[in-house]
Amino acid sequence: MSSFYLTNLVLVQATITGLLLALSIQVPIRMGVFSFAGAGAYGFGCYAGAILVLDYQMAAVPTIVITGLLAGLVVLVVGLLIAKLNGLYLAMATVAFCLIISVVAINGGELTGGSTGRYGVISDFTMGHMFAIGAIALVLVALSERGKLGRRVDAVREDPELAASMGINVRRYRLVAFAVSGVLGGVAGAMNILVRSAVSPLDIGFPLIVLALTMIIVGGSLSWKGAVIGALIFTWLPDLLAVVGEWQELIYGIIVAIAAVLLPRGLYGVYVDTKRSVLRRRRQEATDKATAQTPPPTSTGDTTDIDRLAPEMEAQR
Amino acid sequence: MLDVSDLHVSYGNVEAVRGVSMSTTPGKITLVLGANGAGKTTTLKAVAGLEKPVSGKVTLDGTDLTGLAPHKIVRHGVSLVPEGRRIFGPLTVAENLRMGAYTADKSLVAETLERVHEMFPILQQRADSAAGLLSGGEQQMLAFGRALMAQPKIMLLDEPSMGLAPAIVDSILAKVRQMADSGIGILMVEQNAEAGLDVADDVVAVARGEVIFAGAASEARDNSAVLRAFLGEAALAGSDD
Repeated sequence: MSSFYLTNLVLVQATITGLLLALSIQVPIRMGVFSFAGAGAYGFGCYAGAILVLDYQMAAVPTIVITGLLAGLVVLVVGLLIAKLNGLYLAMATVAFCLIISVVAINGGELTGGSTGRYGVISDFTMGHMFAIGAIALVLVALSERGKLGRRVDAVREDPELAASMGINVRRYRLVAFAVSGVLGGVAGAMNILVRSAVSPLDIGFPLIVLALTMIIVGGSLSWKGAVIGALIFTWLPDLLAVVGEWQELIYGIIVAIAAVLLPRGLYGVYVDTKRSVLRRRRQEATDKATAQTPPPTSTGDTTDIDRLAPEMEAQR
Repeated sequence: MLDVSDLHVSYGNVEAVRGVSMSTTPGKITLVLGANGAGKTTTLKAVAGLEKPVSGKVTLDGTDLTGLAPHKIVRHGVSLVPEGRRIFGPLTVAENLRMGAYTADKSLVAETLERVHEMFPILQQRADSAAGLLSGGEQQMLAFGRALMAQPKIMLLDEPSMGLAPAIVDSILAKVRQMADSGIGILMVEQNAEAGLDVADDVVAVARGEVIFAGAASEARDNSAVLRAFLGEAALAGSDD
């Protein structure tokens, strides 16, 4: 193990839990469901993981599996309760769910440890487990962006009415989005408690929503790669900004504001656009060379039109 | 045969559709005329399951479809082509068509695709281009083609000529006639009454959520109630002087 890895182990761990938290918000957004319930599931996962290890002496892997399933179930029930809501109202209802989790954590008596929370959560959890679970989650989410399933998810987001009239069960897709978001958030929370060994009500709640949302807005909201970029930046940035001392928060805020205004599709969107324009320039140079030898074609109008539009359409995918 | 009888649909307290009845059978085009806000689109949406009717009945060959979820209604053979040529722009033409076959009998997909390509050759020529790059008329044909991929018995068309150049409207409506002649029953809402009447068999005119005329297309042309429905009250007031 390199010394860099060892000295920054906490940040590596935080990157993986942050990534799963970001994905738990990103998956529903990709299906057009503005749900932040994943952040609530994360809080739920922290406590459920602590309770399973401390009160039931459970090992790491079963703790994570059971916590993930429970969190998925809880968020699915939330999804069923608010199935009729949309847009801003749905978002507010899921924020309320996150706040309820915090309130339960403070008032849960011995089970949640009140305002001190639960601590001393030590188990057989290893970094191997953590990397494996992170990789599995990432692969599954990446697969849901491809092929038939990816197209259906896009259809449900872009035009739910049209998707329904083509025979897609939109309601079921949306409920699955809730359940998946719950599982991802719950697993992220459980892994967090297993590496940090303590949780208090201050660790969960509204700031988690802000963090997850920041990650996918700056990274890119429609691809898992955006979540990876966001999780990397916002786990390591505060540490790097420690140099500037008390100005840290301000610089952090400015970065987020700039990203929101200038990069509506996130850094991943910028990468896609740059790649396209480089490819286009190369193609242009190639055709320029070709046309230097042969007489120029008469109808260039169509091709330039398509060249201009195609990258935009591609980027939306 | 698709039969809609005494349908009532409300948005909150507002009753948008008040006891509308209409029907269509394979091979026939039933044209639904009416001014903006008359309840035409709401009726189509209720038939497709996108709005829940308060009362009334929608049946297809005797099977009750009233109030079923939209994805189930498609499986019974009723396909909606919503207004405004809603296609998935970033996807290719071929991918759009494939998505239309979501509920279709998979063994018949290749055959259906061939028929769609036969009816709309442009969809074969542009199979690999992004659907958003097609012209308006081509996008409408893609919307038709996608609905056909579900192998429907009945198609619900919501304003297929909306926003199209006048020269293209006739060719789009000719395609609607062609789809009907291939054995599909069509219920079509159309603002362009003149062009619509040229291809329709039957006409239902609605105003303020109620049917004010139902009959053959040939009778509809000279009926003042129909004029009132698709041109609004102003037309009739104007025609007095």
